[in-house]
Amino acid sequence: MKDAVAFLRANPLALAGLVLLLALAIGSALVPWLSPYTPTRLDILHKLAPPGPTHWLGTDAFGRDVATRVLYGGQVTLAIGLGVVALAFLVGVPLGTLAGYAGGWVDAVIMRVVDAMLSFPGLVLATALAAAFGPSLQNAMLAVAITLAPQFARVARGQAVAIASRPYVEAAVTLGLTRGRILTRYVLANGVGPLLVQSTLSLGSAILQTASLGFLGLGAQPPAPEWGADVSLNLDYVRSAPWVALAPGGAILLAVLAINLVGDGLADWLDPRRRAERD
Amino acid sequence: MTAFLIRRLLAMVPVLALVLVIVFSLVRLIPGDPAVTLLGPGATQQQISALRLQLDLDKSLPLQFVSYLGGLAQGDLGQSLKSGLPVARELLSRLPATLELAFVALIGAILVGIPLGVVSATRPNSALDHALRVGSLVGVSVPAFLLALILQLVFSVWLGWLPVSGRASPFATGAGATGFALLDSLLAGNPRAFLDGLAHVILPATVLAAFLAATLGRFVRNALMETLGEDFIRTARAKGLTRAEVVYGHGLRNALLPAITVVGLKFAEMLGGAVLTETIFAWPGIGRYMFEAIRNRDYPVIQGTTLLFALIFVASSIVVDILHALLDPRIRRKVAS
Repeated sequence: MKDAVAFLRANPLALAGLVLLLALAIGSALVPWLSPYTPTRLDILHKLAPPGPTHWLGTDAFGRDVATRVLYGGQVTLAIGLGVVALAFLVGVPLGTLAGYAGGWVDAVIMRVVDAMLSFPGLVLATALAAAFGPSLQNAMLAVAITLAPQFARVARGQAVAIASRPYVEAAVTLGLTRGRILTRYVLANGVGPLLVQSTLSLGSAILQTASLGFLGLGAQPPAPEWGADVSLNLDYVRSAPWVALAPGGAILLAVLAINLVGDGLADWLDPRRRAERD
Repeated sequence: MTAFLIRRLLAMVPVLALVLVIVFSLVRLIPGDPAVTLLGPGATQQQISALRLQLDLDKSLPLQFVSYLGGLAQGDLGQSLKSGLPVARELLSRLPATLELAFVALIGAILVGIPLGVVSATRPNSALDHALRVGSLVGVSVPAFLLALILQLVFSVWLGWLPVSGRASPFATGAGATGFALLDSLLAGNPRAFLDGLAHVILPATVLAAFLAATLGRFVRNALMETLGEDFIRTARAKGLTRAEVVYGHGLRNALLPAITVVGLKFAEMLGGAVLTETIFAWPGIGRYMFEAIRNRDYPVIQGTTLLFALIFVASSIVVDILHALLDPRIRRKVAS
């Protein structure tokens, strides 16, 4: 806790990101009580109304309140980000740790697969996978998680290799602890810092990529209020009513920017060289 | 240098083999019978068997893979399910448009990213540095389709300065001998077509470049700040060199080496953004081709474009390593020994 306060004090930009992120999370969580509208209620008489006192961000082509949809979309997006990162973490970290700790052919096999997966531009692989699985939000999340997992494996492997040669791990081996116990108790537990940074930075990519799949029609299907899909569904009205597409698009930018501000500060703070300067 | 090259290429073999396995597996990941799924509800039994035959689905998995490799060896990527045309030929005809867009974006990103990084690094913690840091974070956080929309609205719809989409105006002469419209118009001595092509490429290239310029700016800033703290910089200062000589002659020269890696790797990553950018700007390259294939569930095309993107990625990482080795003899010796 003391560390967290010191971190935020030294990083005003990270603090700004955190505040923005919290505002978004609270707004999304409380939207059923904050807004008199629902995200899917149609009101054709008031379609494409410009932003004003009754509809803060205007209405879309079906007369749905854009601000309400954006906030409900926040629930979807934050759940997407956390779900994708958790999945990528759960697949990538055990594999990477195993590769780094076991070495030999296990390491060679796992890391060649990781290299091969990292040989695709992230969005291209996610697009191809999502297209194969079929268009749905769950499939898009799975596709993005698969493309992000190799990065977690790489970071975890690097940590495992560095930690495996430390004296306390050698001591644990000498004491006769089982491999599984050494892996979880010593290797994984001591490699948390960089994995935390990786998770924060991946959260931003997870949201951007899933939104991009939504934009391409491979993610959430209408009428779900997903930001990426909402931008593409409203492209036809951009000239006459720019707010319908710009509002959900701007929400993606704000959410990802807030996450990256926190992640950037965290990466700086946990950098061993900066740490040495500070202590 | 030859030993270095051979080692580097050999190391790519297992990775490329696995890339092929992944691309091959894509069709097999389609739930249920891919032929039934791809053709949709109203398909007849005859159509389904024909498609199974075309996609090799009637053979065992290992045999399917062998015949896929056999086709690849002859440059055969299968036929588009939609048009029936060979995918390889379709891709080749669209590749110049994508590469042209990517190169313009690359040049733009370097011209913007490196100076921003230098300005930031030489004035650390100034207001300008903070503004540039936030700006570069915005650059990596903005969804490509949002930036594209804003640029189209501002520069095409409201100001009317640049065309909304496409690669050339209807009556301008299109691509000629090389397929690269900008180069062709110059070779043909046609400045009008060149300017027309340039006007069309600016907005999509800006969208593609934003991410790379932001990443590069951040990287150059950190690398240069680190280099400027080194002993040899102090020596250079002590020798009485001017500030510019120290920053550009000694600092930037050393900081740019790792920047090449970033440019190379992010260049290929940036190409992935072509799927979104080309779609929004109706740019006739492989990105938009992939998008159309997704719409039509045209799986041979999706496989072909995915493979092509991966090959460009791998090729650019090899080019980066070669450049690195050329510029830094230490790397050459390390890998060759």
